[in-house]
Amino acid sequence: MALALIIALPFLGALIPLLVSRMGRSAVAIAAALAPACGLWLLFSQRAAVFAGEVQIAGTEWLPQLGLNLSLRLDGLGFLFALLILGIGLLVILYARYYLAKSEPQGRFYAFLLLFMGAMLGVVLSENMLLMLMFWELTSLSSFLLIGFWKHRSDARIGARMALAVTGGGGLALLAGILLIGQIVGSFELSVVLAAGDQIRASALYPLALVLVLLGVFTKSAQFPFHFWLPHAMAAPTPVSAYLHSATMVKAGVFLLARFYPALADSEWWFYLVSLTGLATLLVGAVLALFQHDLKGLLAYSTISHLGLITLLFGLDSKLAVVAAVFHIINHATFKASLFMAAGIIDHETGSRDMRSINGLWKYMPHTAVLAMVASSAMAGVPLLNGFLSKEMFFAETLKQHLLGSFYWVIPAVATLAGAFAVAYSLRFIHDVFFNGEPIDLPKYPPHEPARYMKIPVEILVFLCLLVGVLPGYTIASLLAAAATSSLNGELPQYSLTVWHGLNLPLAMSVLALVGGLFIYALRKPLFAWYEGLPEIDARVNFQRGITILMRITDALTDRLETGSLQRYMALLLGSVLLLVVFALSPLESLQGSLPAMPVDAITALGLGIMALTALLTAVFHRRSLVALMILSCTGLMVALAFARYSAPDLALTQLSVEVVTIILLMLALFFMPAQVPAESSSLRVLRDLGLAGGVGTLVALLVYAVITRPYQSISPYFLENSVPGGGGTNVVNVILVDFRGFDTLGEISVLAIAAVGIFALLGGLRLAHPSRDGNGRPWSTDSHPLILDILARALLPMALLISVFIFLRGHNLPGGGFIAGLVTAVALILQYVARGVAWTQARQPLAYHVLAGAGVLIATLTGLGSWLFGRPFLTSAFGHFHIPLIGEIELATAMLFDLGVYMTVVGATLMILSNIGQVSQAEPFREVR
Amino acid sequence: MEALFAVTLGVLTASGIYLILQARIFPVVLGLTLLSYAVNLFLFAMGRLAGGVPAVIGRSAEYGDPLPQALVLTAIVIGFAMTAFVVVLALRSLGETGTDHVDGQEPGK
Amino acid sequence: MMHAPILPLLLPLLMGSLLLLGHRLELPLKRLLSLAATWSLVPLSAWLVWLAGDDQLRVYALGDWQPPFGIILLVDRLSAMLLLLTALLAGFALLYACRGDDERGPNFHALFQFQLLGINGAFLTGDLFNLFVFFEILLISSYALLLHGNGAERVRAGMHYVVLNLLGSALFLLGVGSLYGLLGTLNMADLAARVAVADASQTPLLAAAGYLLLTVFALKAAILPLYFWLPRAYASASAPVAALFAIMTKVGLYAILRVFGLIYGAQAGELAGLANGLLWWLALLTIAAGVVGALSARNLQRLLAYLVVLSVGVLLAGLAMDSQTALAAALYYLLHSTLIGGAMFLLADLVSRQRGAEAGDLTQGPSLRQPLLLGGLFFLGSISLAGLPPFSGFLGKLMLLRAADPGEALWLWPAVLVAGLGMLLALSRAGSALFWRPGGDVIEGEDDRVRLFATVGLLLGGPALVIFAAPVMAYVEATARQLRDLAPYLNLIGGGA
Repeated sequence: MALALIIALPFLGALIPLLVSRMGRSAVAIAAALAPACGLWLLFSQRAAVFAGEVQIAGTEWLPQLGLNLSLRLDGLGFLFALLILGIGLLVILYARYYLAKSEPQGRFYAFLLLFMGAMLGVVLSENMLLMLMFWELTSLSSFLLIGFWKHRSDARIGARMALAVTGGGGLALLAGILLIGQIVGSFELSVVLAAGDQIRASALYPLALVLVLLGVFTKSAQFPFHFWLPHAMAAPTPVSAYLHSATMVKAGVFLLARFYPALADSEWWFYLVSLTGLATLLVGAVLALFQHDLKGLLAYSTISHLGLITLLFGLDSKLAVVAAVFHIINHATFKASLFMAAGIIDHETGSRDMRSINGLWKYMPHTAVLAMVASSAMAGVPLLNGFLSKEMFFAETLKQHLLGSFYWVIPAVATLAGAFAVAYSLRFIHDVFFNGEPIDLPKYPPHEPARYMKIPVEILVFLCLLVGVLPGYTIASLLAAAATSSLNGELPQYSLTVWHGLNLPLAMSVLALVGGLFIYALRKPLFAWYEGLPEIDARVNFQRGITILMRITDALTDRLETGSLQRYMALLLGSVLLLVVFALSPLESLQGSLPAMPVDAITALGLGIMALTALLTAVFHRRSLVALMILSCTGLMVALAFARYSAPDLALTQLSVEVVTIILLMLALFFMPAQVPAESSSLRVLRDLGLAGGVGTLVALLVYAVITRPYQSISPYFLENSVPGGGGTNVVNVILVDFRGFDTLGEISVLAIAAVGIFALLGGLRLAHPSRDGNGRPWSTDSHPLILDILARALLPMALLISVFIFLRGHNLPGGGFIAGLVTAVALILQYVARGVAWTQARQPLAYHVLAGAGVLIATLTGLGSWLFGRPFLTSAFGHFHIPLIGEIELATAMLFDLGVYMTVVGATLMILSNIGQVSQAEPFREVR
Repeated sequence: MEALFAVTLGVLTASGIYLILQARIFPVVLGLTLLSYAVNLFLFAMGRLAGGVPAVIGRSAEYGDPLPQALVLTAIVIGFAMTAFVVVLALRSLGETGTDHVDGQEPGK
Repeated sequence: MMHAPILPLLLPLLMGSLLLLGHRLELPLKRLLSLAATWSLVPLSAWLVWLAGDDQLRVYALGDWQPPFGIILLVDRLSAMLLLLTALLAGFALLYACRGDDERGPNFHALFQFQLLGINGAFLTGDLFNLFVFFEILLISSYALLLHGNGAERVRAGMHYVVLNLLGSALFLLGVGSLYGLLGTLNMADLAARVAVADASQTPLLAAAGYLLLTVFALKAAILPLYFWLPRAYASASAPVAALFAIMTKVGLYAILRVFGLIYGAQAGELAGLANGLLWWLALLTIAAGVVGALSARNLQRLLAYLVVLSVGVLLAGLAMDSQTALAAALYYLLHSTLIGGAMFLLADLVSRQRGAEAGDLTQGPSLRQPLLLGGLFFLGSISLAGLPPFSGFLGKLMLLRAADPGEALWLWPAVLVAGLGMLLALSRAGSALFWRPGGDVIEGEDDRVRLFATVGLLLGGPALVIFAAPVMAYVEATARQLRDLAPYLNLIGGGA
């Protein structure tokens, strides 16, 4: 419970500074400090158990099927890191109180900081690896917010994005690595995984898992060649740098090395990857640090170098090296945090971080100078300071390894060289900033000591450096032992934490490094000149360039893919169909099935021939729209005849009536369309189109032929048998439509109604130029009420209505039905519009079409609902026979009511469509026909 | 007869497909109409072709498969609604973009 | 109550037609009616989810005609879950729309109800031809909703969307027709049973029919190479419509799952798993295409549209892996990507509204009126979307990665992880440009709390799916189990229900 609370506190506590953000800076800082202070207290309450070597595991199952559980772990290593995170976190909060300007959003700053702190605590206190990974990614995300805190600065924005891209990307690799480890071990709980080192190393997946995990580690800990993001993360406010780059964010990577050491180390792979990466980073960081003119830049590269040192130690494959690594983690955290804070103070008080202009500050801020000097001495590895101890251990370890065979000396040699550079850049930090003449053109002059309390965090840290450096045995020993034991997951090797080990080779290396450092610093001017001459590598520029290149590539790809050409998309769709269906049909043994073929009769053959010919001609004449439309209507007519020929009178009637309305519609549209379609397809395009058309046409022909020549077992006999007894109608097609599959019909009329509504919206406010002449240059008739048509239309209306009633009523037993009846009515009414104009007709038209269409759907639905009253499912029909005088025996079925709904919808929708299109022309004022 | 029917259907489909691959909206609409003829005939033919067997009880000794006919009816109506929509969309497109090109802009602009 | 399965259809159908009937009603009243109907779907479908929890298949035989003769609605865990998802998404999207987007053209609310009718119907129906009908309802309403408010860009995008889908509908009919012509039935379970005993000589023809349907569904689901219509359409649609469309691609995937999980399911002998091999590679390519598009996007809405494509790829990969765990992972991911995808479209609109003419373009623009609030929401949404912890995207990704067997992992892991990095780059670039780049003066204007509420409501889906991860995962796992055990489905025919 205490463990969960330690992690949860900062997350919850992140809200408090936001809530009190108006109450002044101190209040906000105190509010922010609440959570870590409580956390620290909770952590301390566990120390006895931790120092006794206990491993506490607590938590609950959450998603066992995923291997993701809410299990936490507190051991020495976790304790150490939690201590650093909380302790330095508290100091940073105090420091930031004075660092941030009054105008800056304190509440948000502390909220982000606490989020980050919680995430870090989660990483170091997780027992479940997947849980740890979740926190790991959270550190990347919250550090993104922290680095980009000064969002108005482009360097902060890019720095933040770069850090996120690199560390977030590394996190993805880590995820894969952890999943692999989990797969190998069969558990994601650390206690299981750490005990399964042999099993992991024996697995064929081990190298892959290792590389993936190390990718996560190296990106996070800014190891060469992924180090480039770190210096640019310096765009963050200095408290953030002090926190992220001393004790937390970058330490998460090496924490993972310490954590997974028992599970992953002890192999050639581990050694080469870890130690060589560490070695390269150690040297590159140290050398580059010397050449930075930016104070924080120097510290950033020095951080990289020290992280390289720690990584190298983990790679050295001896237990003592692990102890040294853990020790250096502690030491680096203390001196680097204090140095960043000192740098921040200098920046704060002088307004500059450029070491070429900030010189001679000793005079102005002696107190700060002393602190900074002690801390940088620790960084350089000067005796009696903590840095010396771990560096000495490091040198000793580099000497003990024999891993590079006859080249084993390379490691100590490089280590000494890097040590010399460390001395040189530490010296530069001291000499350039505090001595070396007078300040040059400082934005704030004269500089002075900062607020008293701003120095307290630095003082505490520097004091710790000293204390550990002088009295390691009494201060750090038990913590170090506990942490190292849990990192090794077993016995601790023999080592002694004393300042003086006698005259030995490591001491000689230290001395060599000190002297070498002095020498290098003395040569700095020619070295700087040499460095200036090198081609500049600016990671930010490169990152931007990389992103630009990536975008250019993706742009080019997107332009290639998403061309915005419908023709191409259609071709792709058809091509896909063609490819897949050809592939599917290729194993077909025989195209023809076993059914006997119908004999060919001349009339049908002629009809089919005309149908095919007119279709072809439509395509051929498509550039002359009106001609093509005429020919197309012939095809439609032939289709209707084909339905009639093959025993589908309902279809023939429907096809015919739809044909009429469609042609009216297309004529109306054509009125506004260019009469001639330009020829613009290249011959290659035409060839492609012909190929696709021919291909798909052939496929459809083959498919239909193959299917209809084969026998099949249909469910249809059921409909034939039950149509009369169950549906009350002899026209089976109609009974299917309004009863067996009435639900389809309900959907179908909904489509019609929606289409009408959609069309109504599309036409809203639409005005198109009124062409005065047709495609052949003949003027359109301006007679708005042609007399003959007018008379004809009026005469036709009652007749048409009578016919619709007739068709409607007989529908259930004979070809006909609501749909056809509706279309007949609609056509008759449209004729009125054509003959008399919209205004005249509208004035005499009692029903709004919206209402008609809506009511139609509603009636059909309510009819269906009626069956609920009888405890039957929706759309269950009922029917009975009634005798009506004059008309005779008549059958009334609920299905007819349903069909009435169909009728109304068809009339309403069709008229809503046609009557509104009819008046798009600019000549008349538009009156919406609702 | 089935073969002839199939070939006709193929020609209808091919003509329709060719038209819908055109750049101007009116030919595309014509193509869609042709294609829907073809598809309706296809669907209808799935009940197998036969003459003189309408599915009206008591009208003949044998009955054709009524189900595909009902499906085709539904398909015709839906097809009509869709055609109407696309035609009006074409008008809207003409009004909004000033062109009858299916991409809403003249090529090369 | 026996009528439960049909209620999610009757409610929007009745409300849609009533709204047409009362098309002259005052807008506030229409809004109220529409909202009431839509939000009633939430408890209703929650109830169905609860009912489905007993692992029984619930059949509603329309017109009291028993399957395979009549049309049936089928409620299983999958359809119930998707109904609930749709109801939630639609509820918030509609709420958002009620603050002005519905005024840009006539009949928005009626169209919205019909859109829901189409989507719910597609999820519920157990009949292949009826699925076609509901697809058409869904499509015609989506055409109208997409074009709602008109404007050149919408019309351009709409034209592509409409014409492509008209061709798609024709192919659908060819596919359904072929299946009927070969097997003589339309009920999906009956089709499945008949495929299992079909004559071997028919196999190629059945496969051809399957591929015809697959192409149609792939077009709706926006799978490579058929996704090109999507970015433009989604980016140009009004925000609530784009948000609702987050479920549309899923309808296509759902249809693939139903048709290829049942009709061409394990019982289908030679035809079993007909499309899996193909879909697997298409899924990976779709993921890649989504990332590429997202990285190239210069506009927030387009970026989000490409992330929709990407999520389709991820989901499809889950389906194509053809295992129970992968299916469960895909279903979880579906819930996540729909809710968050929808939320992000709303959020993008909130942001765009404060940026004047720049709107969603990722260029320097006016400073936002609510930089912190919107920035914070964008950050949370992006984390979810990019699959970073601690939100739903991460869990979905984790489930999927874990579900892959080694051979699949070889491809899926790099694809999903690199896609994650790509999303991270694209979203951080977008966020930095929108929220961090100093711009011009703030544009004065009213901020709408209801819009914000709707956005946050959907966005909370991310944390909610994590907090309730255990029950949700249990549900999707049970769903996957139910879907892969075909016997109960096959038994539906002949009164076995």
